[in-house]
Amino acid sequence: MKAQLLELETRALKEIDAIAEFSELEAFRIRYLGKKGQLTRFVKQIGRLAPEERPAMGKLANRIKKELSDRFEQAKAALDSPKAGGRASLMDLTLPGRAPVRGHLHPISRVIQEVCRIFSRMGFRVVKGPNVELDYYNFEALNIPRDHPARDMQDTFYITDNIVLRTHTSPMQVRVMESQKPPVSIIAPGKVYRRDSDVSHTPMFHQVEGLLVDKGVTFGDLKGTLASFVHQMFGNETPLRFRPSFFPFTEPSAEVDIRCVMCKGTGCRTCSHTGWLEILGSGMVDPEVYRFVDYDPDVYSGFAFGMGIERIAMLKYGIDDIQLFFKNDMRFLRQF
Amino acid sequence: MKTTLSWLKEYVDIDMSAHELAHILTMTGLEVEGMEPVGRFLDDIIVGKIEEVRPHPRAERLSICTVDAGSQKVKVACGAPNVAPGVLAPLILPAGRLPNGTLIEEIRIRGELSTGMLLAEDEIGLTDDHSGIMMLDPGPAPGERLTAVLGFPDWVFDIAITPNRPDCASVIGIAREIAVATGRTLRIPDAHMDETGPPIQELTSVTILDPEACPRYAAGVIQEVTPGPSPFWMRYRLHHSEVRSINNLVDVTNYVMLEMGQPLHAFDYDRLRENRIVVRRAREGESFTTLDGQTRTMSRENLMICDGQRPVALAGIMGGLNSEIFANTRHVLIESACFDPVTIRRGSKRLGLSTEASYRFERGADIGGAGLALKRALSLMSRLSGGKVAKGLIDNYPRPWTPPHIRFRTEHANRILGASLSQTAVKGFLEALGMDVRQTDDHELMVLPPSFRVDISREVDLIEEVARCYGFDRIPLTYPTIRPSEQGDAAEVFFHEQVGSIMTGLGFSEVITYSFISSDAVDVLRADKESPIRSVVRLMNPLTIDQSVLRTSLIPGLMAAVKTNVAHDQKGLRLFEWGKTFFQKAGDQLPLETIWIAAVMAGRFQEKTWYQEERKCDYYDIKGAAEALLNGIGLNDMRFQKEEAHPGYDREVFAGIYCAERRIGRIGRIDSDVMAAYDLKDEDAYLFELDIASILTLLSRTTQFQPFPRFPAVLRDLSLIVDRQIESARILDIIRREGGDFLESVRIFDLYEGKKLGTSQKAIAFRICYRSAHETLEGEQVNRLHEAIIEKIHQETGGRLREG
Repeated sequence: MKAQLLELETRALKEIDAIAEFSELEAFRIRYLGKKGQLTRFVKQIGRLAPEERPAMGKLANRIKKELSDRFEQAKAALDSPKAGGRASLMDLTLPGRAPVRGHLHPISRVIQEVCRIFSRMGFRVVKGPNVELDYYNFEALNIPRDHPARDMQDTFYITDNIVLRTHTSPMQVRVMESQKPPVSIIAPGKVYRRDSDVSHTPMFHQVEGLLVDKGVTFGDLKGTLASFVHQMFGNETPLRFRPSFFPFTEPSAEVDIRCVMCKGTGCRTCSHTGWLEILGSGMVDPEVYRFVDYDPDVYSGFAFGMGIERIAMLKYGIDDIQLFFKNDMRFLRQF
Repeated sequence: MKTTLSWLKEYVDIDMSAHELAHILTMTGLEVEGMEPVGRFLDDIIVGKIEEVRPHPRAERLSICTVDAGSQKVKVACGAPNVAPGVLAPLILPAGRLPNGTLIEEIRIRGELSTGMLLAEDEIGLTDDHSGIMMLDPGPAPGERLTAVLGFPDWVFDIAITPNRPDCASVIGIAREIAVATGRTLRIPDAHMDETGPPIQELTSVTILDPEACPRYAAGVIQEVTPGPSPFWMRYRLHHSEVRSINNLVDVTNYVMLEMGQPLHAFDYDRLRENRIVVRRAREGESFTTLDGQTRTMSRENLMICDGQRPVALAGIMGGLNSEIFANTRHVLIESACFDPVTIRRGSKRLGLSTEASYRFERGADIGGAGLALKRALSLMSRLSGGKVAKGLIDNYPRPWTPPHIRFRTEHANRILGASLSQTAVKGFLEALGMDVRQTDDHELMVLPPSFRVDISREVDLIEEVARCYGFDRIPLTYPTIRPSEQGDAAEVFFHEQVGSIMTGLGFSEVITYSFISSDAVDVLRADKESPIRSVVRLMNPLTIDQSVLRTSLIPGLMAAVKTNVAHDQKGLRLFEWGKTFFQKAGDQLPLETIWIAAVMAGRFQEKTWYQEERKCDYYDIKGAAEALLNGIGLNDMRFQKEEAHPGYDREVFAGIYCAERRIGRIGRIDSDVMAAYDLKDEDAYLFELDIASILTLLSRTTQFQPFPRFPAVLRDLSLIVDRQIESARILDIIRREGGDFLESVRIFDLYEGKKLGTSQKAIAFRICYRSAHETLEGEQVNRLHEAIIEKIHQETGGRLREG
């Protein structure tokens, strides 16, 4: 039996060296290593040998089996290799990869992160505050007394007569100034609420507030800072303008408009045919606000600004329906 | 505020295009929110002169007019009552188009040929009048274009008036800003009149009982008026300012209000008992019918205008039905008063009644201008209605206005603005705005603003005016030096971004849901009475029931998002939200705001592809995500402990998440009743919620580097059969405890629950890695330890080695 086995080995090794086709290789495997293969048959016979012969024969058969299996794998690998020019062309490299599922950050979060990054680089630090706010911080200390028409500028959700859902992120101005002395340079992103719901309003939305107070801060600085922001956010070539406006807690107050991103200024529905889009409210901090936080308006000056994130996201991504932000439809979220 | 270009031109020369003007207005702070040409598509309309009118033979209400159209004469059927020979009226001929697009054709009306159409004002878009055809003033020749006759094109500007500028809620106010911006002169209209009536003192008197609320009340009387329609020019202007035309008496008061910003009221003099005026606070509970026909209950908050016996108007807000002008009014008393803004605002808010008048008074009317407005109204009214104006005015002015004296430091202004304006330039700007400017010295001015600028009382107010006049765009851009802060970002900021990137990396998409929910949503979660999620914060004035309380759980919002997406046939959902919950606190304290990261999985975990089979998600998928997130942010050794389910979760599949003995969140399957409530009966959803504040306290430690091990590890597998009630974590605890310093790690690599073991047992296989930091472990040493662990497990759990 030993001789037969050795003969089988020699024959098999010779054959395998000559194989150049997958089909032949497979036939080889079946011929020798398959269930009814020649080698397998020998192995089955080993059990019938005399007990003292078994170990040696078993060992030999196993060695040959391993040898043939190894050579089979080598030959297969050789045929697979590009050099062989054979099977490599059969591997479909275009099949989709085994991809992990990818999630999507909400466009609002993306924009907030981008805005915060821009201002962080300039030296503003990010602060956070409560959504439910005292009337004092939301209005009173921002120079919006009770019974003042400026209260009509923002429809307010009330919890009690003294507690509101903040209508803007501006209360953070007061909270921060109250807690520290100048210099102050902060931005405050977050949710805000107004009692307003229609095609262009949602009762909850997001703002980012900014505040810089120090000695010698000017309206020119406000313009420079916000121009830099606009250019980083919307591109270096974006024209912008500062237009007088009114906020009770800043004076002078300015709205910042950018050249309409849709029509580039020729006039379209998005910009109500004005060629300009309002994206920011800003102004020099009103001395009345300093009075509430005990800063000396003859020593310190500063500017504040606030922007609506939904609006910026809509302009940036060309979203035409504000309601989409809070429907959480994957067909929307997946696009970001 | 809406006004037309032609009206503005009455007070200031404007020689630029409407669009250029809009730009100038916007850049002075009067934002033009919209502008529209009046009378677009009027080119087909010409002047027709009616020569002959005869009744239509077969239609009682129609006339057949012979109309001179210039180049031809046409016969036109017309139903208007005011057709008469000699009347000039707008005419459109066949093939022409009306502004609304209607094509005019020659038609037969009951057998009579009608070649064209005579037009009413509303058909041309000039006013809303449809009482008859438009009657043009004599002058134009038949066939002339209507646009030429009317001096068109005209434009309507819609201008946003900021709350600080009530003076600009008037055509003159806007014209004044144009005059300043363009360097032109403002023309104030003539208020001349002949006072042909008796002295006013013989006719009426005004008593002010609350001079704080009514610092000025001026009144004039005009007798023997003839009520009738107002002329076209006035109706045209009112119409485009969105004020309805009533008659030549009421219209005058509205017209002057729009023109000068001073709200006026016209009383029927004869209906004022004792023919006099008393201004007083309303009595609590006093009822009063305003001229809109509504009977309202007053309180002390309301200020009333009364006659000798009873209230006749709600001061500064609306007149009363009992003293309203009507078709037979003979004598008129005109009120031109000034009321305290806060009184008017409170009164108006309390009654929920806001009018053009209250809008102006609550922002601050021009107390100094009340007299001029009254004269202007009397003058116009006598012109239009033929009345006789009484001699003199009543002007009860108990609190005469004195202008504030404001110190203006040019240098300070330049320091705030970052500009270098000269004192001369500043003086020029302020004077152009109507201020009285006195030079104190080379650096300072003393400025007295006019009475109509109620917004100016401080130096900073003047700085803004100067900046506006100079032009914001001319102030140079500079960049501030921002000094670094001692403090960094708020703790959660970096963490928020980190969580966002890990979760999206794990395949979760971020949602943002509303902070308010329906109060029913808490019931849906099956919270019992004492559950903290019942201590919701309620809105006093919610928009809808669905958004009436602040959320105490993120589950309702997430489930709604799942529902939305399942409805759109999205099969495998992985959503997360970073958001706050709000818990009520006692008294007038702000609620407790807690930040959570919550994630939900529903439906398919993986889809069928060429390399894998479809599979639904289960608890271990969400748990794996929770673990990956926590590991990602730097937390290890979490414990998931089965406990009594939190509202919204399935009792069977719920665990608290602990780290360093601190409860940091919860995880489990959404209760099937909750699923059903969101129409998701056929789905399973799994959720985790992590409390950010408690995680942040655990994250205070910075990661510490561990050197690589110097000695080899020894791996041993351990396959155990245990009772199915024994949690794997319990066995892991024993292994860790007993393994002590030599145990480097252990993981579960196999689990079998099935027929072979019966229903009460399961097999778990562990791979343990032993290693010492100080020496190479001997096989014997490891074996002893391994055996000891097996023994301990057996003692504590009854678990035994699985054979073979």
